[in-house]
This record gives sequence, structure tokens and C-alpha cells, in this order.
Amino acid sequence: MKKWLTVLFVAVFAIVLSACTANKDAGKEPSSTDGGGDAKEKVLYLNNGSEPTSFDPSVGFNAVSWNALNNLMEGLVRFNDKDQPVEATAEKYTVSDDGLTYTFTIRDGAKWSNGDAVTAGDFVFGWLHMLDPETASPAAFLAYPIDGAEAYNTGEGKAEEVAIKAIDDKTFEVKLNAPTDAFLSIITNPSFFPVNEKVATENPKWFAEADSFVGNGPFNLSEWEHDVKFVFKKNDQYWDKDIVKLDKVDWAMVNDTNTEYQMYKSDELDVSSVPAELAEQLKNDKELHVEDQAGIYFYRFNVEKKPFTNKKIRQAFAKAVDQENIVQYVTKNGEKAAHGFVTYGFKGPDGKEFRESVGDLVSLDKEEAKKLLKEGMKEEGWSKLPKVTLTYSTSPEHQNIAVALQSQFKEALGVDAKLQNVEASVFLAEQKELKHQTSRSSFLYDYADPINALESFITGSPMNRTAWSNKKFDSLIKSAKQETDAAKRWETLQDAERVLIDEAPIVPLYFYNQVSLEKSNISGIVRHPVGYTELKWADKN
Amino acid sequence: MIQYIIKRFFMMVLTVLLIATLTFFLMHAIPGSPFDDDRTSNPTIQENLEKYYKLDQPLPVQYANYLKAIVTFDFGPSIKKPNDSVNSLLARGFPISFELGIITILVAVLSGVTLGTLAALRHNGIIDYLAMTFAVIGISIPNFILATLLIQIFAGELKWLPAATWQSPLHMILPTLALATGPMAIIARLTRSSMLEVLTQDYIKMARAKGLKPSRIIIRHALRNAMMPVVTIMGTMLAGILTGTFVIERIFAIPGMGKYFVESINNRDYPVIMGSTVFYSAFLVFMLFLVDIVYGILDPRIKLHKKEGESS
Repeated sequence: MKKWLTVLFVAVFAIVLSACTANKDAGKEPSSTDGGGDAKEKVLYLNNGSEPTSFDPSVGFNAVSWNALNNLMEGLVRFNDKDQPVEATAEKYTVSDDGLTYTFTIRDGAKWSNGDAVTAGDFVFGWLHMLDPETASPAAFLAYPIDGAEAYNTGEGKAEEVAIKAIDDKTFEVKLNAPTDAFLSIITNPSFFPVNEKVATENPKWFAEADSFVGNGPFNLSEWEHDVKFVFKKNDQYWDKDIVKLDKVDWAMVNDTNTEYQMYKSDELDVSSVPAELAEQLKNDKELHVEDQAGIYFYRFNVEKKPFTNKKIRQAFAKAVDQENIVQYVTKNGEKAAHGFVTYGFKGPDGKEFRESVGDLVSLDKEEAKKLLKEGMKEEGWSKLPKVTLTYSTSPEHQNIAVALQSQFKEALGVDAKLQNVEASVFLAEQKELKHQTSRSSFLYDYADPINALESFITGSPMNRTAWSNKKFDSLIKSAKQETDAAKRWETLQDAERVLIDEAPIVPLYFYNQVSLEKSNISGIVRHPVGYTELKWADKN
Repeated sequence: MIQYIIKRFFMMVLTVLLIATLTFFLMHAIPGSPFDDDRTSNPTIQENLEKYYKLDQPLPVQYANYLKAIVTFDFGPSIKKPNDSVNSLLARGFPISFELGIITILVAVLSGVTLGTLAALRHNGIIDYLAMTFAVIGISIPNFILATLLIQIFAGELKWLPAATWQSPLHMILPTLALATGPMAIIARLTRSSMLEVLTQDYIKMARAKGLKPSRIIIRHALRNAMMPVVTIMGTMLAGILTGTFVIERIFAIPGMGKYFVESINNRDYPVIMGSTVFYSAFLVFMLFLVDIVYGILDPRIKLHKKEGESS
């Protein structure tokens, strides 16, 4: 009996060992291909953080998917290095006088990586795939300005009723339900990329592996070892291939910023993010690049929970916040303090920055804050202020900011606020159910237009999450959406922002930025305030 | 014996089922959903997603589906990684975690047992003190600190070894060191104390009196008996290390399965939570079963069929 057991045990052990050695061989492969590559080729080493959610343009609605996908495929228009949407797969476009009909002509040289020509039908196919309720694309709402799109996506309409049409192989026409100034910038988004109809019909999972992936962008997906890395090769079929300088891009998937930084230091990566603990130490580093990002960190006040039911008390808390102090001593990452809701980087028809023409709408004013608090309490007949709790999702960064706010409220208003942290998913669920009194929030733009951010606060918007409802604000947003005169529209949006900050269902803290370390021999990587990394112009010497 | 194994197997299935049921209800009790994303909160899109993953069905129906998934071991597609099924995630991650785990265990056991034996033989000598100081340090430094330190020194400063990723044997050195130090220290201490006890036993004196070679006494008579406590902790240790460790895998960017345990819970990726839990518990229960069998081999006094009553 004992012998029998020994045999069994040895057998198990042998299997274990053989499995082990088999894997070791598998692990060696990528390193050997690496070794041959660095002769004269220009290989850029980047880190994607983690496995992309999906390279299906309609599905991977996040930076880990779209920073890469943005370089594998191309829509009708693409942002240039000045963040303006310019012709890409489309050679030219025309807009009707009422601003409702866009007609795109696809350029002759536009080809898929397998040699097929990119047709207008591929765009129709890709866009309908995004709007198909079965796809359940999280990005589908971006297409709602298109006539019939929302109805189809929500299951009320039919695909044939969506107003997109391939007039012929090279002509693509879109009809909108309202003039949408930002439409061109919206369709730079990867969810509006074409999909090769022939390939996708044959293999609906064409995007899942490197072998079957067919793109039309500056690079090709040549290798994809899931959860380990993926490799881009220059796409010879790309219409603008003479501009592309890199031969290869090697994307690692390292999730830990400290490890990423060490790999950068030991030359395993060309670009790295900055670990929070090192932000201050690296502040003046020559290899540090700081760029704007269209996004804002702010706090929401729930107008249904006391004491924030009172406008003056909300204003008092808003004026007790010292934004400069937070960016200087707490976040320490070179962010810009936010005194309004719309970020920097949006130029109006007058050529002026939205942010600068509106100016600072809220900033620290302790005296005024104290006065407003007193008045507000008098209006409500409170002798003592109801308890205030700041809620944030668990993370050291959010905690530091909450602690800073706590002490600022204490200093300016003499209010002892309580802090509460909640696990991230629970936090979001609770915030949507309006369970918090005042809570940490952020907004990242989906497309480059102030209305994207401001629209969040119309009555009943799922992004509102404050229970705040204001007729004047709602009507300003509505008329901005209908307005065909660009200058007027811009003014309407500015008025809307003034109403929002004055009513104070939110208090802005700071605008996001993108901070990265880049080796000095790297150039031309473009990071837009809204949008995804562009490697088309990148070079390595 | 066969009867014992059959009974034991039945208990194993029951244990896994119990763990799986508990996980299912705990998982649905925590607030939040896989589709809670700060940016996308269009209600109709959420509904579409829920319908697609059958999360709109009542909980008992979901539970029934889930039981079916366990029996067929097919947990369906991951919610957060729509291109992958849970099975393919596990099939991809487990061999890598397993590989790292086996190397770690080998290093830990070999060096731990050697260190512990040496320390016991030179009881209260310099080797003993050095080995035990080393062991105490090894136990007290958490592996993620060690990992960061190793990367900083050997990759960041000296540039001798690659900092992270899982490609060549060279890439394996740092994570193995970081992961093996703790278990090695525990094994060394256990070996030492049980060796010390065994060395005072009559049969060792007997063996010495018979004039057996010291190496034979230690390996064949002392060490074999001193291994019992080590084997006891090996079951849980093996299951823990072989199925991957979240922190080490994250720090070294190793594409193992450790991350699925934590990320799936953070993301509320229900199929992945279920798949990884069931997989891990089945593996753990199986390891404990193996340990019981190894007991029998090491110590003939332990008769498996006598343990029936107390086995869990």
C-alpha cells in the first residue's frame, strides 16, 4: 500500500516538474525576438499598465484600450498636434448650411492593413455595430446627436432609421438631429472608427488576437501576448506612412507605478508615469513633461441633505476652499487650481480661452464665507449647523485632499467636518443613489467641448448626482444645443457655467494634467487634453 | 484506504460547494455593480449590459446558473474583459503562477530545511544564531517591501537584473527571492525546533550507539521525523503560493492569476470572482488531501482509516 502511494506521489511530482519546464521554454520566446530587434530599428518601449479591455472599437471605453487602438485605426478625422480635428481617412468633408448634414469623402489611398480599400460601408457597419443594443457599447451615447441613433440604441428604433448612409463606396453622409458644434471632435473618438465589414462578418472576434486584427491606422498589431505585452509594427498600407518614423512600438503591461519607474530608470521603458511619492522630487526633472488634461477634480454637495439644502451655506463652503493651497501642498503635481468648472484648452469663435473669458467664479474668501454661513443658518432657523460628512473613495490621494478640505472648513467656517471613506465601487453606487452629503468627484471629458461637462448638471442627468435642478440652467443648456450661431452658443455656455458655480451644487478643486517622464531621445508623442495618445509623429533617436 | 479516499473526495466536493455558495451570496450582498463606472452612466446602456450578462434575472435563477457553471466548470465570459472567458483567464494565468510557485517552494523548502537542520545541529552555536536571526528578519519583512527593495537595488541602481515582467530565467530571480524568503524563514524555524526535539529521542541515541554514519542518522532517521510540522503547513502554503500572489505579481508585472482574486472583487466582475474562488478552494482542499496522504508515508503510525472521523 505504501509503495503504491509513493508511486502516485512521484508521478504527481513528475507532472508538476514537466509542466514547469514546458512553461519555462514558452517564457523564453519573447526575449529572443526582442534581442534581434534592436539593431537599427526604432523601437519605442511604452507601458500600457494592463491588458486592454478590448480592441473592439465599440467596447473598450477606457484609456488602456484606446491609447493603443487610436494608433491602430483611424476615423474620418483625427486630432492634429494642435488638438484640432482634421481630415484623416476622409480626404474632405462638407457641412450643410443648417449644420445638420455632414458629407465625407474617403481618400483613395485609405486602405486596411490586409490591403482592402476602406469604404463608406465600413463606417456604416462600424457605427451601427456601436449603436446595436446587443453590443451594449458604453460609448454609444456619444452618437446620440445623430438622427435616429438614440432610438436604435435604446431598442425603440431600427438600424435602418439611423441617419448614416453610404452614398457610394467613397461618400459617407451623416444627418444630425441638432447642429452640434463638437461633432467633428466627437468622431475622432475610437468608437467612431470604421470596421472592415468583410473581415468582421467572417470572424466576429476579429479584434481579439493579433493574427486576425485588421486596422487602418499608422501601426499594425503584430503581436499580442495577453496580459504580458503587445507589439505594433509600422503599417505599410497606411495612407500617410511617410510621416510615421517608428518601426515598432513595444507595450508592456506593468500596473505598479513604482516598478514602472524603476524599469524606466533601468532603460527597459522609454516613457513612464510619475509615482505619487516621487512627484515632488522629480518636479524639476528635465525628462518630466506636464500637459493639460481636460478633466476636473471637484466635490459635490447633495442639495437634498441638510445643511446643503441652503444655497448660501453651499456658497459658504465653496468659498472656504483654498484651491491654490491644495495644488501646491497636497497634490503637488503641477495641476492648475480650478475656479470654474470648464477646463482650460477650449477656444471659442473669438479665439479666446473659455476659461479666461469667464474668469475666476469662485475662490477663497473667508470673510464672505463666514457671513454667508451665518445668513444661511438664519434663513433656515438653525442655531447649530447639522453635521457635515465628506465622503471619498478609499485611496491615499483622495484622503489627503479630504483632510485638507476638512482643515480648510475648520479654519474658515469653524465647522468640524467628519471624514468617511468607502470602497470605490460602493462609493460610486452610493453617490448615484444620493446617499452622500458631500462627496469627492471627478469628470473627464468625452469630447472637446464645454457642453460635455456642463450638460452633466441638467435636471435628471445620470451625471448630476446632487439632486440639484435649475430651470434657468436647463434652458441655457437646451438653447446652446439648438444654437447655430457659434458666438452666441459660446456666450450661452458661459452663462450656464456662471449659474452653476453661483448656485454651488459643486465646488471645483483642480484641473487634471498628464505628467510623464520621457527619455531625452524621444520626441513627437502627442497627448491631447481630450483624446488618446498619438504615436503617428513620435520618433526615437 | 480506497474507502477513505472516496469519503474524503465527497467531503471535498461538499466543502467547495459550501465555499462557492457563501461566495455567491456575499458577492451579491456588497453594493456596486460591474457597470458602475464614473464616466458611463447612461441608464439604457446599463440595462443593455445587464441583460447581456443575465444580471437582470432574479437571484435564485442566477444561483442556479452559477451551480451549473461550477459543475461544468464553465464560468462564461468575464464582464470586464469581454474578449476572454473566465476559463481562458485562469488557463492563461495559472500556469505562470504555478511556475513561479514551484520555483519558490523548491527554493524555500531546500534552503529552509538546510538552514533549520544546520541550526539544530549547531544548537546555540554561531550558525544557529545567524540562521535564526536571518529567519526572524525573513519572517518580519513583508514580501512587498522586500520586492520593492530588490527592484530598487538590483534593477534601479546596479542594473544587474531586469526590474519586472516575466520573460527569461533572469526575470525570475527577483520575484522568487521576494516570494521565497518568508516561507523559507518559517520552514527553517519549524525544522530547527522539531529537529531539536527529534535529536533527543531514544531511537537517535540508538542509531548513534549502533555506530551509523552521522549523515545517515540525520537524513534517514532525524529529518524524516522532523518533517511532520513542515508538511502540515505545506498544504496551505502550496495552495497559496501556487495560485499566485496579488502583490508580488503586481509589483513584478507577472501575468499570473493572483490579480484576478483582487481585481475581480474591486470590479465586481462576478464570473471571475466565482471562477477564481471555486478554483482556489478546490485547489486548496486538494492540497490538504495530499498532505494527509504524505503524513501516512512519513509516519507509518498514522493510519489513514483511523482519521476518518476527524477529517474535514
